This record gives sequence, structure tokens and C-alpha cells, in this order.
Amino acid sequence: MKNSEHEYRLEMTGISKSFGVVSVLKNVNLKVKSGEIHALLGENGAGKSTLIKILSGVHQKDTGTVVLDGQEITPKNTHEGQVLGINVVYQELSLVNDLSVAENIYLHKLGANKTWMNWKGLIKDAQELLDSLDFKINASAKVKDLSIVQKQVVEIAKAISEDTKILILDEPTTVFDPKDVKKLFNILFKLKEKGTSIIYISHHLDEIFKIADSVTVLRDGVDTGSLAIADTDKDGVIHLMIGRELKDLYPKRDVKIGEVPIFEVKNLTAKDTMVHDVSFHVKPGEVLGIAGLGGSGRTETAKLIFGADKKKSGTLILEGKEIVTNSPVDAARYQIGFVSEDRKEEGVFLPLSIRRNISVTSFDSISSKLGFINVESEYKKVLGLIEKLNIKTPNSEINVKNLSGGNQQKVALAKWLSIESKVIFIDEPTRGVDVGAKIEIYKLINEVAKKGVGVVVISSDMPEIMGISDRILVMHEGTFYGELPKEKFSEENILRYSIGEPLKTI
Amino acid sequence: MTLTLKQQLSTPRGILAFLVKYNTIFIFLLLVIFSALISDVFFTSVNLSNLLKQVSGIGIISIGMLLVILTGGIDLSVGSMVALLAVTFAILVNIFMLPVAILFTIIIGFGLGSISGYLVAYQKMAPFVATLALMTIARGMSFIYSKGSPVTFTTVGGQYMSNFANNSTLGVPNIAIVFFIIVIMAMVMLRYNVFGRLIIAIGSNEEASRLSGIKVNKYKFLVYAISGALAATAAIIVASRTNLGSPNMGMAWELDAIAAVVIGGASLNGGKGTAINTLMGVLILGLIGNILNLLNVPSYPQQVVKGAIIIFAVLLQRFESK
Repeated sequence: MKNSEHEYRLEMTGISKSFGVVSVLKNVNLKVKSGEIHALLGENGAGKSTLIKILSGVHQKDTGTVVLDGQEITPKNTHEGQVLGINVVYQELSLVNDLSVAENIYLHKLGANKTWMNWKGLIKDAQELLDSLDFKINASAKVKDLSIVQKQVVEIAKAISEDTKILILDEPTTVFDPKDVKKLFNILFKLKEKGTSIIYISHHLDEIFKIADSVTVLRDGVDTGSLAIADTDKDGVIHLMIGRELKDLYPKRDVKIGEVPIFEVKNLTAKDTMVHDVSFHVKPGEVLGIAGLGGSGRTETAKLIFGADKKKSGTLILEGKEIVTNSPVDAARYQIGFVSEDRKEEGVFLPLSIRRNISVTSFDSISSKLGFINVESEYKKVLGLIEKLNIKTPNSEINVKNLSGGNQQKVALAKWLSIESKVIFIDEPTRGVDVGAKIEIYKLINEVAKKGVGVVVISSDMPEIMGISDRILVMHEGTFYGELPKEKFSEENILRYSIGEPLKTI
Repeated sequence: MTLTLKQQLSTPRGILAFLVKYNTIFIFLLLVIFSALISDVFFTSVNLSNLLKQVSGIGIISIGMLLVILTGGIDLSVGSMVALLAVTFAILVNIFMLPVAILFTIIIGFGLGSISGYLVAYQKMAPFVATLALMTIARGMSFIYSKGSPVTFTTVGGQYMSNFANNSTLGVPNIAIVFFIIVIMAMVMLRYNVFGRLIIAIGSNEEASRLSGIKVNKYKFLVYAISGALAATAAIIVASRTNLGSPNMGMAWELDAIAAVVIGGASLNGGKGTAINTLMGVLILGLIGNILNLLNVPSYPQQVVKGAIIIFAVLLQRFESK
């Protein structure tokens, strides 16, 4: 009865928050109805995460009120938030690797009110929950043995295992392929029918327009508007996000692609992964896209070429000469670059400064024979790259962990751009990156291609891979299933090859 | 847009941040002032030079420990290595010419450290386990080679070393000069040399280092070998001070070295720590022992105070990371 008295289940009014002298949120409002999927949009650093953290109890607001079902609430920590029915699925996974899936899902309840564990019941409940989500995950498996997609699903299961009034998802689909995204959406629709309010943070506007009922946009800590999704379109939302019209997300590239391949791979087969019989080439100045479902072996292929995984057989040919890459050290010596999809774990050094991050690959050119670094040329190089890549930072000594996702990604790219690469593999170039930074990264890729580098881009983002590639190879179960020239680019064609189907003949 | 020192110190918050950032140096200065106030013996040249002589040995192995800890590892073997290498040096100096004995001892130290380095870097053994094994082995060997009793210097070379270790130049004990030179070398290497940069990178994210084309194994191997060579240097100094090499030397020194590095603000997870702060850590530990001795506090309560200081220092550093 009571609920229906309030138009909104959640009303956050006039929220402000500053950290030290930095004002992160200024008088922000967010209103969410029950049974609504409400998208929260904004560039990285716009204040979305802080707003969510205030709602869930991680941070405390400076001013403003939060009203849930007509009651003012002030959760002082995440536990209080959970008790109130507010659950968050964060971008960074928060699972315990050495425990089972079931234990992770019920981690907050383990040990409550009971002396002894009911293992059977626990696993049974967890399995039922997972099955209802339509993802095949064994509840008694160890979390460390799961793929990143499965981990994300467990994270979601954990959040909805509670009596959830408000479920917050922060970029839940960054690791998902389209098939899994669909399953996730089905879960969300079911929750919505049950009356759960969902706050959905994403950079994928396509997703937002598929599932959200309404949207609130933040820019530089101020909310620039709340709209019903029916009353707006992509351009309208982008305008609110970046304060300017978006003419072209994928900037044009004016490059003459070379005739002779700069890099060729023949019959490459991995020792420890499913990658087998991979053959392809990339020409100087060409941007080759690699598409495929999550787990089809795209990242593994790149790591195999880079020497990070062990090869069983196959040949690599760089500029007409056969090369052997038994380790990343070899690959780097042959000027092959690799930007990992897992920025935080494998891409950047979070606790180190931007300068130390960028110069780590280029000591050869800035140090003497005995290894003494020429500090002046180091600064020159690093500051040049910061300016060129438009990394938003007051200076080069800021630790990378304090940068937004987009700027971290630029640092990861800068590491390889600071040396002259011949071939560069970029795995998910814009995952978790806001629109503004995306365009800058695409421009950067164009510039690299212009210099005659062979660029190989792996991406699960369909519009992206079609927008930036000259040619797309589609991977299916560890090998390339098909190749699409530019005139055959379409989501359907990529998806067909991804699941091992031939193209439709017209 | 970085604040100048003056601007930073103009607000209470700024002052606090400044104090927290340089907390090891402040703790050190506070201790010096405190010591000077409570004891009139403290600021005598005899006491200060004794203090420096006492900390030099542990100080040198602390620098090796810092390098290892920066990569995210740990070296438990250094205390026992000091014993084994002190005995080794005493035996060698009685046979060979002094320079040869010094060189051989350092090479053997490097070699012993290489064993830990090989096990950790190439056999992927946990640093704690590999160096724990080396610790036991080195202690056992030191007793075997010395037949359980100290080996005394008998030659002119030994006498020369003994003089060197107990004398001062311009009022600074010679062995402290050796220690300071090693600290300065470490500072330079960590700041301006590729080697230092790369071991910090490895400690802060090993996988990202590997995927950046860094020879991760080579550098991990090297830090343990260098730690061994520094243990040899410390062993030569300690043996020379007392004119003998004993298998009982360096007992639990590895723990003091770890404590000094940690008090100096280094993270045991790797990637964070500086040589100057480790020097402060060494001096802080030494100072505490020195004051308590001057106050005639017995050695057991001293250990309690030391432990409390470690906790205090690490708690202070938590403010910094916030």
C-alpha cells in the first residue's frame, strides 16, 4: 500500500559531494520509479560512480537527501545499504577466487545465525539461482576456474540473491558478447516485472535504448537532464553527455594501404589453448578487425603471436622474414606491440606515475649503455605523448590509478606508441571508455595506421569494429571462420560467422 | 599546477599531508631530538659513531632486502648468509691476499643469492619458501665450515681490515661510509637507472611487465643475487669489526632488515619503497636500541618497544595511501 503513495521509489535530491578541494557532485538529482530500468549516463569522471557509491553507502554525501520508499535513508556502509535492499554489481569484480561459486553468492550470509554449514542446501540454492539466469555455471566450481564472463554472471547472481529493491549495474556488459548480453537483458526484464528498480550504467547507447525506460545524464558532476527514453534519441543523449553534437564517432581515415603484407601468420596452433590453424596477414596502414564471441580465442591468438602463450606450430613472417617469438621480450624486440583487454591487471601499472608507465617500453632510446636514464629526454618524450594523446592530467607524475578509465587506456596505448611498432595488436581498445575518449582513441588508431603500421584490433563492440576496420576476420572456436571485406560489414554477417554459420546468399 | 612548499604548508590539511608524506624522516628527527633531550651522552661523538657502526651491517643487507621487496619478494636467507660469508671471509683472508679474499667472498655471496634467485625466478618457487630453505642451509654450512667455533683473523690482511673497520675518516666510521655509499648507489639505481625502474614496475604489476616485453625473470633473479652480494659485504664488515668470523653472526638480522624496509614505507606487495626511506628505517631502529641502552633498559623490553614502533610506523603510512 505504502509504496504506491510515492511516485518514485528512490529520490535523490540535491546531492553534493567533494573529496578535499575537488567537487565531484554538485546538486545532483536522481529519481527512479519501481519496476523501472533507469540508465545513468555520463563520460568517465562525470560522477556516476560517486553517486552510486553514495547510494550504496560506500561514500557519505555532503548535502542533499536520499529517500527510499518515502523514508529518508543514510547508509553509512555497504552492509547498511544491502540491508535496505540496495545492491551493486561493480565494474571491478569483487569475488573471492579460491571459494566456490555458491560460497561467493552467499558470502554475506555465510555464518549468519548458524553454527554449521549446510553445504548441500547452499549449493542447491546457488545452482537453482544460476540456472534461472540461463547461464551454464556449476555452483560448486571454484571462481578462479571461471571465465571473466561467468564471473560477471556470478557477481550478478550474488546481487539478486538478496531481497533487492534497487539493483545497480555498473557497465555489466563490457565483457559480454552479444549473445550473453541478450541473456542478461532477459534477466533484467524479469527483475523489472517483479518490481525491482534497476539503475543501469553503460557507455553503450545501443543497450540503453534497448532496455532503459528513462535516463539521467551527468556531466562534470552536474545532472544535465532526466528524460523518458521515448522522448529522446542517441544524438540527444550524446548532446547532454558531452555538450556538443556528435558528427562522426568514427573519424575518417585517409591512408594508402600497402600492397605487400607487413606481417603474416601461417597455420599457428597453440599448445595450451584452443587456438588452432590460424592464418592471416595484415598490410602496412591497414586496420584489421578481429571479431567473434567471447571465448572464441581472439585474445589467445594475439597473446600467442606476442609470445605470452606457448605455440605448438606455425610460422610468423615479419617484413618477409620468418621470426620466432617465444616470449613477449622477443615480440617487443621485433617491434610487435600488444595492448591488453585487461587494462588494470595486464595493461598499466596502477600505483606508478604516468611517466613511469609510458617510459617502461622505451628505455632503449632514452638511456645510456649502462642503463642510466636521460631524464630530460624521458620527460620530453612523455610530455609529448601526454599532449598528443590528450591525456587529461595536471602533470606527468600523477599515479595512473587516479585517472579515469579512458585516460588509463590512453596510457596503455602510449606505452606502445612511444616506440616505433611495426605491428600492433589492440585488444578491446575502448572497453569501459567514455564517448569523448573513444573518438580520441579512434583518431589515434588512424594516426598509427597512417605511419604504415599494421594495426590489428580485437573488439566485441560491433559498431566499433565495423566503424574502424578495413577488413574483418571472424573467429569461431579457436580459428578464423570467415573474412568480411568492407562492403559486407553488417552485424548479421559478423554474428553468423561468429556462430559458425555461412552467410546468407541473396 | 603542483603546490609550492609554502602554499602546501599554509593550511592545516597541507601540513598534515606534508608530515604524513615524509613521516619516516620526521619520526627520525623526533627521535633524535628526544634522545638529545633525555640523555647528555647521546650527542657525543663516541656514542654517535658507535650507533653508526652498529647499524651499518644490518643497513647494508636492508638495501638488498629493499630491492627484493620492491619486486614483491622477500629474502629470509640474508641473516644466515652473513654468518656463512663471515666465516668464509675469515677462512679466505687467512689464506689469500686481502683483495682476493674480499672479491671471492662477494662472488660467493652473489652465487648463493643466485640460488634463491634461480628458484624464485625460473622455478617459480614462492620467495618465502626458497629463501627459508637457503636460510637453514646457510646457517648449517656456517657451522660445518667453522667447526662450530669462531675463525679468527691471523694474517696481516686480516689485521688491515680490522683496523679499517674500527677506524673513522673525518669523524665518520669507515664502515658507515661503506653503508652510505651503498645507499647512494641504490638511490641512483632506483631513480635514474633502467634496472631500478624495471624492478619497481615488476613489483607493481608483474603481468603488465611481462606483456610490456620486460625480462621479468632476469630481474627477479638479479635482485636475489645482489641481495647475496650485499650480505657478503655486510659479512666482511661485521667480521672485520670483531677480527673473526662466527657462525652465530647475523642471528635474526633478516627480520630487522625487513622491519627497516617496512618502517621506511615500502610495501611488502612490491612496487613501493625508496633507498633513503630504508636508510631512515635502519637509523630509526638503531636509534631506538641506542636510546634504550643509554636509559639502561634491558634487552627484552627493548624488543617490545621495537615491535610497537613498527606497528606505529605502518599505521602512519596508512594515512598516506588514503
